[in-house]
Amino acid sequence: MKTLILAGLAFLGASGAVLAASAVNKDSEPRMLIVTEGGSRSELTLAPGETVEFCSSGCFVTMPNGDRVALTGSEDVEISGGVGRVR
Amino acid sequence: MAEQREKIDALAKQVDGIEAKMDADTVDDVGLVEIRSQLEAIDKALLSNGVAFRPRLGEINSRITQLGPPPVEGQPPEPELVSNERRALTNEKAEINVVLGKAEDLSVRVNGLLNKISSLRRDLFTSMLTKRYQISEAFNGEVGTTVRSEWGRLYYAFSSWMRFVVQFKFRAVLLATFFALLAAAALQFGGRRIFGRLLTPDPGIEEPSYLSRLSVSFWSTLLPTLAMGVFLAGTLGLYTYFNVLRGDIGLLINGIFTIVFVAFFINRLSNAALAPKTPNWRLIPIQTRAARLLVWLLTATAAVVGLDSFMGVVSETLGSPLSITIVKSLLASLTVGILLLLIGLVRPLAGEDGRHRPWPAAIRYLLYVIGGITIVSALLGYVSLAQFVSKQVVVTGALLATAYIGFLSARAVAEEGTFAQTAVGRWLARRYNLDETSLDQLGLGASILIYVLVIIVFLPFILFQWGFQPGDLAGWLSKLATGFQVGTFSFAPFAIITGLIVFVVGYFITRWFQGWLDGSVMARGKVDAGVRNSIRTVVGYAGIALAALIGISAAGINLSSLALVAGGLSLGIGFGLQNVVSNFVSGLILLAERPFKAGDWVVAGAVSGTVKKISVRATEIETFQRQTVILPNSDLINAAVGNWTHRNKLGRVEIPIHVAYGSDAKRVHEILLEIARGHPLVLRNPEPFVWFSAFAESSLNFEVRLFLADINNGLSVQNDIRFAILEAFRKEGIEIPYPRRELNLKSAVPPSWPLDDEKAEAEHHERLRARAEAAAQPAPKRRRKPDPA
Repeated sequence: MKTLILAGLAFLGASGAVLAASAVNKDSEPRMLIVTEGGSRSELTLAPGETVEFCSSGCFVTMPNGDRVALTGSEDVEISGGVGRVR
Repeated sequence: MAEQREKIDALAKQVDGIEAKMDADTVDDVGLVEIRSQLEAIDKALLSNGVAFRPRLGEINSRITQLGPPPVEGQPPEPELVSNERRALTNEKAEINVVLGKAEDLSVRVNGLLNKISSLRRDLFTSMLTKRYQISEAFNGEVGTTVRSEWGRLYYAFSSWMRFVVQFKFRAVLLATFFALLAAAALQFGGRRIFGRLLTPDPGIEEPSYLSRLSVSFWSTLLPTLAMGVFLAGTLGLYTYFNVLRGDIGLLINGIFTIVFVAFFINRLSNAALAPKTPNWRLIPIQTRAARLLVWLLTATAAVVGLDSFMGVVSETLGSPLSITIVKSLLASLTVGILLLLIGLVRPLAGEDGRHRPWPAAIRYLLYVIGGITIVSALLGYVSLAQFVSKQVVVTGALLATAYIGFLSARAVAEEGTFAQTAVGRWLARRYNLDETSLDQLGLGASILIYVLVIIVFLPFILFQWGFQPGDLAGWLSKLATGFQVGTFSFAPFAIITGLIVFVVGYFITRWFQGWLDGSVMARGKVDAGVRNSIRTVVGYAGIALAALIGISAAGINLSSLALVAGGLSLGIGFGLQNVVSNFVSGLILLAERPFKAGDWVVAGAVSGTVKKISVRATEIETFQRQTVILPNSDLINAAVGNWTHRNKLGRVEIPIHVAYGSDAKRVHEILLEIARGHPLVLRNPEPFVWFSAFAESSLNFEVRLFLADINNGLSVQNDIRFAILEAFRKEGIEIPYPRRELNLKSAVPPSWPLDDEKAEAEHHERLRARAEAAAQPAPKRRRKPDPA
C-alpha cells in the first residue's frame, strides 16, 4: 500500500507542475506573437493548430493584429483570425 | 484608463530616479540590493497594471466584432451612430496599446537595470578584494605623528564625553548600566537555576555520554553569550534612550561592544568545546595543555579581528588618513596570520608513545595556507583581501564550529537508544507510554529536525558574512515560493511542500473522522461489526483519495494535465497491473456486498479459518492452526466461498455410531435421542434426530444429527455426546462392534515332545554316551610323508 502511495505521488510529481501560459493558433496560416519576458523580446511563431507553452512568470505579448496584452503566466491565449483572445 | 496611465508614468519616473542614482556611482553593496528589490517591485507593478487593461480590451474587441466590418464600396452606408462607435472603440484600443507599449518598454529597461546591478555588485566585490595599497608610502615618517594625533583625538572624544556624562547624565548612566546588568544577571542566574545540571560539567563523572557533553558545551556557550549580548545591547539601548550618547560616541561604543561580544563568544565556545579544566568533558580528545593554549590563541585571534574592525570604525568616524588605516589593517592581518600559523603548530593529539602529535594533515595545511595567504597578501599590499580573509576565518569559523556541534548532537540523538536516555525522551515515554522502537523513531525525527534547524539558523548567517544581503535571501525565497524554470518545466518547491502538508493534514483528519465514526457513532448505534468494518475501510480510502486530490490542487498541479497523462498510461497500467486492479475492484465488491465479514468462519478452496481483515487488495484469513493466509480478493469473488457464520451461527453436527447385530435397535435409538436431547447446548428446535442409516456388514449404523446455536462449539459438543454414548452403552450392555481378524499361522512344526518318556530318556543317554566315547578315542595319526632327503 505504501509503495502504491509513493508510486502515485511520484507519478503526480512527474505529470504536474506545468504552470505557464499557453497559446493555440486556430487559424489556417502561421501566426507570430512578440513576447517580452524578463527584459528580452522574442518572436514566437505558431504553425496552424499548434499549441505552445510560454511565459512562465509574466510577460507582455503583441498579438498578430497589433493588440498588446499583459499576461501573468497562467492564461490560455486563443488566436483566431489574427485576433488573440485571453481566457 | 487615465489613472493607469498616471501610475505607469509614476513608475517610469521612479525608474529614472533609480537609474540616475546608479549612474552617480556612489551606491555601495547594501544600497544596490535595496535598489534591486525596488526594481523587482516595479516590474511586478508594471505587469499588474498591464493586466488591468485586459477586461476592457476584451470588451472592445467583442463590441467591434458585433458591429461588424465597415461597409465596403458599393454597399449601402451604415448609420452614423455605428461608425462613430466603431471609431471611438478603435481609438480607445489604440490608446491602450500605446500605454501598454510604454509599460513594455519600461519593463525591458527595468530588467536591463537588474542585470546591471548584478554586474556592479560583482565589480564592487572584486575591486575591494584586488585593491592594492602602497605599503612603503604608508610607512613614511608621518605615521608616528599621525598615530599620536589620532590617539589624541580619540582620547579627547572619549574624555569630553565622559566629562559630559559625569556632569549631566551621571544618574542616567548609572541607572542604565544597572538595569542592563540586572537583565543580564536575571538571564544568567535564572538560566543557571533552570539548566544548572546542563551548564556545569561535573568533574566527578568518569565518562559522560557524548550527548551530555554536547548539551553541556552547547548550553554553557549559549547562556553566558546570551546574557552578555543582553547586557551590551541593553546598555546601548538604554544609553540611546536616555540621550547619553552624543555624536560619534555611539558608533564607537557600538564598535567596542561588538569586539567584546565576538571575543567573549569565541572564548566561551572554545572553552566549552575544549574544556581545558575538565578533560572528561572535552568534545575533541586533545591534550590538556594544548586545550588551554588553543583557547588562548582562538580568543586572541577573535580579539585582534574585533579590534581591527573597531579601529575601522574609529578611522571612519574621525576621518583618519588612509595611511593609518592601511597600517593598522596590515598589523592586524599579520597578527591574525601568525596566530593561525601558531594554531596550526600546536600539537594537540596524544600519540601512542606518549609524545604529542600535530593536527591531522588536512587541518594543519589548511591553517598554514590560510595563515600564509593572510600574511603574504598583507605584505604585498592587498590589505583588504587580508582583512577579508582574517575576518572570515574568525566569524565563519566560529559559526561553522557551532553548526558542527549542532550536527554532531543531531547525529548523537539519532543513535539507537540515545533518545530514550534524554530528558525529553524520558518525559515522552512516561507521558505517552511509548516503547523503545517508537522512541527510536522519534529520536530519528528529532535528529532530522535538529539538522534542518541548524541549517536554517546558520546558513543565512554564513551567507551574510560572505557578502550576501538580506535582499538576496528574500529574492531566493520568493523564487522558491513562486517557482523557477528548468527547461520548460517550472518547479515550485513551496507549492509542492504545501501540497504535501495539506495531504498529511487531510490524512490525519480522515483517520480522526474514521475513529470518531467507528468508536462513537457506529458503536453507539449498535451497528454490526462487519458493517462497521466495511464503512470504516471505505471511509478511509475515500478520505485518502480526497486528501490526495486536495493536496495535488494545493500543490498547483493542474488536474486536467494529470488526466492527460493518466489517459496515456492507462493502457500500460491496464496490462501491467491487471491483477492488482482486479483485486482492487473485487475488494470494493467484497466491502459493498459483504459475503463475509471480519470474524466469520469461511471455507475458500483448501483454506478454512476465521476472516481477520478485508483489505482492498487481499483478505487475511487465520486458520485454526493459527496460520495466516493472505487470499487475493479476486479469488474470493470468482470462486465459491463457504461461510459457516453468514447470517447466523446455527449449524449441524453429525455423529455416526455403529452397534453390533443382536442389539436392541429400538433401545439404541431411544438412548441416542435421550443423550442428544439432554445436552444443554443442543437446540430443541430444530430438534435432534437419530437416523438409522444402514444394515452394514457387521453392524447396525446410526447417525445422531444435532443443531447447535453456535457452530463454533461443535467440537466440545461432539466430545460430550460421544462420552455419554459410550457410558450409556456400557451400562446397557450394548456392544459396539469392531472388525475382528483371525490369524492362521502356517509353518514347519518341530517334532513335539514324545509321550513315552522313559524310552526317550534311555535313547538320550545312549546318544550322550556314544558322543563321549567318540570324544575319548584319540584321533588317528596322520602319517607324515617321509622326508625326501
